[in-house]
Amino acid sequence: MNNVSQFVQKYRQASWRVQLQWLVLFMAGLVVIAMVAGLYLSVSIRATQAGREIQALKKDILIGQRMNADLALNLARLTSSQAMKSRALALGFKPLEPEQITYVAVAGYTPPTAINLARLKTPQLAPIILPEYSLSLFEWFADMLQSTPPTSSWQP
Amino acid sequence: MKNPHTWRYLTIQFMLAVFGFSILLQIVRVQNSAEVKDILVASGMFEGQSVTYYPSRGEIYDRSGHLLAGNETVYEVGLDLNVMKDLNPSNLAAFQNNIALAAQLYLDMTYREALEKMMNPPEGAVYIVIADFVPAEKAEKLIKLRDDSVYNPIGQNLNGMHFKERLQRSYTEYSLASNLIGVVPPQDERGHSGVEEKHNNLLAGTPLTVWVPANPILARELTDVPAGATLILTILRDVQAATEEILDAAITNTGAESGSIVIMDPKTGEILAMATSPRPNLNDFANYGNTLSSEHPLNPAISKPYEPGSVYKIFTMAAALEKGVVKPEDTYWDHGIIIISEVPIHNWNDTVWGLQDMVGCLRHSINTCLVWVASQLGKEDFYSFMQKFGFGHTTGIDLADEVSGYLKFPGDQLWHPLDLGTNAFGQGVSVTPIQMVMAASSFANGGRMVYPHVLYASVQDGQQHNTSPQVVGSPISAATAHTLNEMLAISLEAEGSKAVVPGYRLAGKTGTAEIPTTGGYLDSVTNASFIGWGPLDDPQFMVYVWLEKPKSSLWGSEVAAPVFKQVVERLVVLLRIPPDNVRLQLAGQ
Repeated sequence: MNNVSQFVQKYRQASWRVQLQWLVLFMAGLVVIAMVAGLYLSVSIRATQAGREIQALKKDILIGQRMNADLALNLARLTSSQAMKSRALALGFKPLEPEQITYVAVAGYTPPTAINLARLKTPQLAPIILPEYSLSLFEWFADMLQSTPPTSSWQP
Repeated sequence: MKNPHTWRYLTIQFMLAVFGFSILLQIVRVQNSAEVKDILVASGMFEGQSVTYYPSRGEIYDRSGHLLAGNETVYEVGLDLNVMKDLNPSNLAAFQNNIALAAQLYLDMTYREALEKMMNPPEGAVYIVIADFVPAEKAEKLIKLRDDSVYNPIGQNLNGMHFKERLQRSYTEYSLASNLIGVVPPQDERGHSGVEEKHNNLLAGTPLTVWVPANPILARELTDVPAGATLILTILRDVQAATEEILDAAITNTGAESGSIVIMDPKTGEILAMATSPRPNLNDFANYGNTLSSEHPLNPAISKPYEPGSVYKIFTMAAALEKGVVKPEDTYWDHGIIIISEVPIHNWNDTVWGLQDMVGCLRHSINTCLVWVASQLGKEDFYSFMQKFGFGHTTGIDLADEVSGYLKFPGDQLWHPLDLGTNAFGQGVSVTPIQMVMAASSFANGGRMVYPHVLYASVQDGQQHNTSPQVVGSPISAATAHTLNEMLAISLEAEGSKAVVPGYRLAGKTGTAEIPTTGGYLDSVTNASFIGWGPLDDPQFMVYVWLEKPKSSLWGSEVAAPVFKQVVERLVVLLRIPPDNVRLQLAGQ
């Protein structure tokens, strides 16, 4: 029994050493917490900046759309029926009478049809967030496999 | 050895435990208290806000791509009243004076008006609107002035003045086709009349309400609010402008009160032009009342029924031909008078035409002959055909405010046997020009009557959806249509009508109608009309002319037929329709 207590006493660390270990452990914990907090802050700042940027870009788009609408309207006013008629008359043009027209057959001529505005209108904007940021790893891998081009057959 | 101070430790432990437990208890109590819902709602107010985004209203184009209705930026100019709160009387006067002067210079209002708005704000208001719908060029000058004078002393700056952008409907062609387009008045998001009202849901789009968090970390990609659908109309701007010009000149020359001209493609039902008078400037909504009234609605071509007179005879004749009760070569001996239900009916100029075939009846527009034709047809068949032609019902044209006109039927309380006789030549029945055009489309389209429409296509989400032509009925056969076309063309040519256009074979009919009042028919004023279509072998246009109460002459053949000719002469140039001989020659190559 005495031998046992001597053994334990021999291998027990000095109290100052235990305190130091606890201190180091505590400091290490603090460093880890600080790192996590720092990382969280960094990500938060970037997310915030991106959020603000999105809001600013949205506003820019809105301003751009309004400018486009204003410019389209101004252009339409400048080329309105009355404006074009006044300009044509000022340039010395006169309305055409039916008997002044000479009709000529032109092979392959296609008369103009009504306008197709769908060609002129901007298509729907693609989503800003790329699929890579919203796909799971599994989905991304599956997509990659599907989009891999077939290997060409070997030719001598 | 027992520590004598153990009880102290135990006491402190117990107190701390009680304190901790009471905190937990309080947390549970607060979270389940009655006020918690109010607290949550109150806190939610600071987490963000629900914002409704209204899509910009869709544009309206003619079928050549000319913009007819669009949107432009205008500004609401307001004043933050808090700026004036802490000013002493002399500074306040200087500040208000400066704002009122700016308003007078840039906002089209008097100095006094602006001053009164600032001095008498609504109770509890912290912001007042000084002017609304301010054009961009004026507002932008004022914004620059405000920004350049931010650091100037009070009385020399415009601090507190705020500008809010918004879109306002604007019409690039002012009064052109205003009867057809309709209007979106300022301070109203909804369209009124015409296309603007009929297709309001398409044009206005669907508002989107989204939650916008105050926390920027939570800001995410907002769904784009798609603009309202863009509409392409069937009208051609240049044809519409030329038609309006001809109509205005005709009204001036004939002294008519008003008028309408409708041009339609009889094969598709597409309205190529619809000119009416008077026409208001769509950008000047404030003065709408000066132009329009109950007597002069925005679009009389669809909303002002009238008794058409002799143009209606073509439907009586078509019904009789279809039923087989008369043939073109059948004859009628005109004595200048016919008795129906003991009431004598005379010809339009009291002329006696003697022996006439059915072409002669149409050529001379003999009332008595058409009364006889209707009597041969019988009331059941006559009214059955009139129903098939769509009279007494709206056409369903895609324009707001269409009315149906009035057609009495046997069995109706007000119907009298005399009505069969008068209806046969277009009296005692009221129609709108658009009804006449739709009904007559069956003559120009092999017996098939087409649905008149003004919407050529709508464009949304990058897709254009074209409107398909619709046949709404076949009141007569192709053979009857062909026979009637020939009869009308021959009568027009033989009559030496003022509607004849050299080089083009056309079918047409004049109309002169007395105007009914509560005291009987007026014989001093008339409604003069003309309907015609062509080229006869391949009809590409149908034109209806109506002049209300012309003064230079009472007769449709004198005032409406020349207008038809003028319209067709412009139309064949604008639609590039060669004369018949050239067209047939080119087709043969």
